[in-house]
Amino acid sequence: MKKTRTLLAAVLVLLCIAAVSTGVAESAPTLLTIYEGPKTMTSSEAAKVSVNGYELFVYDVMVNHEHIWNANTQPSSTPMAYFDFSGKALIEIQMPGLGKAVESAEVLPKSWGISPTVADGTVRFMITEPGQYTVVFNGSVNKALHLFANPLESEVPDQNDPNVLWIGPGEWVIDAIALHDDQTLYISGGAVLHSIISVANAKNVRICGRGIIDGSDYPAWNQPGSYARVPIDLNHSKNITVEGVIVANSNCWNVNSYSSKNVRIDNVKVISGRQNGDGFTFQSCTDHVVTNCFARTWDDSLVIKNYSGSTKGITFRNIQVWTDLAQSMEIGYETDKGWVLDPEISEVLFEDITVLYNFHKPVISIHNSDDAFVHSIAYHNIVVENAFMQGDNGNNKELIEMTLQNSSWSTVRDEFGTIDDVLIDGLTVVNTVDGKVPRSRFSGQDEEHRITNVTLRNVSILGTPMTSLKDMKISLNDYCDGITVE
Amino acid sequence: MNKKSIVLLLAAAVLLMLSLAVCAESIDQIETIITIVPAPDQTHAERPPCFPDPADNYVPLPETENYALGKPVFSGAHADVYVSKNVNDGKTDTYWESRGWPAEMAIDLQGEYTVSTVAVCLNPSSIWEPRIQEIAVQVSTDGENYTEVAAPDKHQFDPETGNRIRIDFDPVQAAFVKLIFTMSTASRTMGAQAAEICVY
Repeated sequence: MKKTRTLLAAVLVLLCIAAVSTGVAESAPTLLTIYEGPKTMTSSEAAKVSVNGYELFVYDVMVNHEHIWNANTQPSSTPMAYFDFSGKALIEIQMPGLGKAVESAEVLPKSWGISPTVADGTVRFMITEPGQYTVVFNGSVNKALHLFANPLESEVPDQNDPNVLWIGPGEWVIDAIALHDDQTLYISGGAVLHSIISVANAKNVRICGRGIIDGSDYPAWNQPGSYARVPIDLNHSKNITVEGVIVANSNCWNVNSYSSKNVRIDNVKVISGRQNGDGFTFQSCTDHVVTNCFARTWDDSLVIKNYSGSTKGITFRNIQVWTDLAQSMEIGYETDKGWVLDPEISEVLFEDITVLYNFHKPVISIHNSDDAFVHSIAYHNIVVENAFMQGDNGNNKELIEMTLQNSSWSTVRDEFGTIDDVLIDGLTVVNTVDGKVPRSRFSGQDEEHRITNVTLRNVSILGTPMTSLKDMKISLNDYCDGITVE
Repeated sequence: MNKKSIVLLLAAAVLLMLSLAVCAESIDQIETIITIVPAPDQTHAERPPCFPDPADNYVPLPETENYALGKPVFSGAHADVYVSKNVNDGKTDTYWESRGWPAEMAIDLQGEYTVSTVAVCLNPSSIWEPRIQEIAVQVSTDGENYTEVAAPDKHQFDPETGNRIRIDFDPVQAAFVKLIFTMSTASRTMGAQAAEICVY
């Protein structure tokens, strides 16, 4: 009995400590920053969102539920809101735009284990960490809410610094902004900036803030009289930082870097719904690190190509991806568009990537469609919450695809490259469209142009560990060597 | 302590924890220090104040008739889709780009005029980098025999001043005006560029 009493006392002491700890944590106040929307705009009628009782301005942003290429596509819209905080944030959501009662809700990423309550048409859940949260209602992606809970701002530039271009809250329009050496562009939370930002032949440039770079003024780039207006376009530049902003409604691709080096991109959120709305796309770049970002895109989400030289040293880390069209993590198809000598793509790392949805083409793909040497590519801890690839007419719906064939995007015809040394370590597929393991495909070109040394390790699909090529339904042609599942 | 007491104590402890947990999820219990960033009074989207409208600093052009507008033009090979007729279509968002150097652009004014100024404009958007182009001007009354009225000179184009330059010379009779471009410092072109060429 004495032993029992001692044990019980210990349990009670622990519980009391836990209770006190909870109280202490609770006593630390939440710091919350919210931003009024421009007075020229009205908050979305699709969703009402509040944080700790404070109502947020909700934006309608273009998305696209057509999961097949359409040159004349008409995007739809979905609600998006944002705020900054530290501490605890109780999120409350009502969805009048659904046209029917909210009966269930799911907070993504699922792996974060947040279970919302639904009562009287209001969805509630608590968050304690900054991040990008997506809420899906009634089991449908229609009108899914994207909620960007930023960390509190730090290192806000000095508005009086002559090298700082400061855009405050409100709705602003300017044809284009060209940034030069040593300049900082600050786009405040609450700002909606209708413009494009070009960093060409420049160094030591910073783009930061919490505001929105918006392309809704411009028709889709492929429509008569229009042209591509890239919201953030880095070109032959170096030492560039992009932080915190939201890129929405672009009329083409979104965050583009071309022949640039030493680029850091953090907490940038991209949502696109129009033609060629690639998310983060880099061509012939070196030393790029992308962290804590979000990309919901109507074309490839994370993209690496060669346009005028080789690619080396690209890292995508802690990224959420929602791919409505095309591939989630694409290397290619263009791997030597500049037709240079000995092109390479190497030292590329995708780490801690959560694919909320992929509705169209492979999640992981290397399409070496020109003649590059693609090697030293790694994928670590990739979680695919919904692998819903429908492909095109039954094709291109693999989970993983690596090929060496020419394509309609090839510049170098009848010459081919190789793929070597690829590691996929940690790949979890939680859900598939038909409850079956999706197929994967590896296709070398000929005896000299092969896919070699691809290791798949710690792969789990639908809760089952994968231990063989057969398990993963991997097809290989005759020009692949050393493709293993461990 | 009997079994019943143990159960009661444990239940009490669990209830304490639960009540604290419930409190933690109540808005009233979350002490919040709020910052609301206000939006300015606006009735329409405005130009950001940190980007003054450079139109105030544009190189002024004569307010008289532009004799070149819409007239026939002649040049050598052009790059890509940047055809010669873009050079006097009245739009600065279309342009002509030669394929290589030197590049000549001749304009048939379709009549003889007294001319004293030629202006060359690029797209005034700030994404058009500042550059220098070297340009000479010749005039003719018959389209065959040209006289130089402005020797080759380096002209600075800058979005801050509208990305346009003007070349003034003594008034002269001309039915044809020819510009000869011999160099550019722009980083992404291999030829001459002009969105508009105006003759006054």
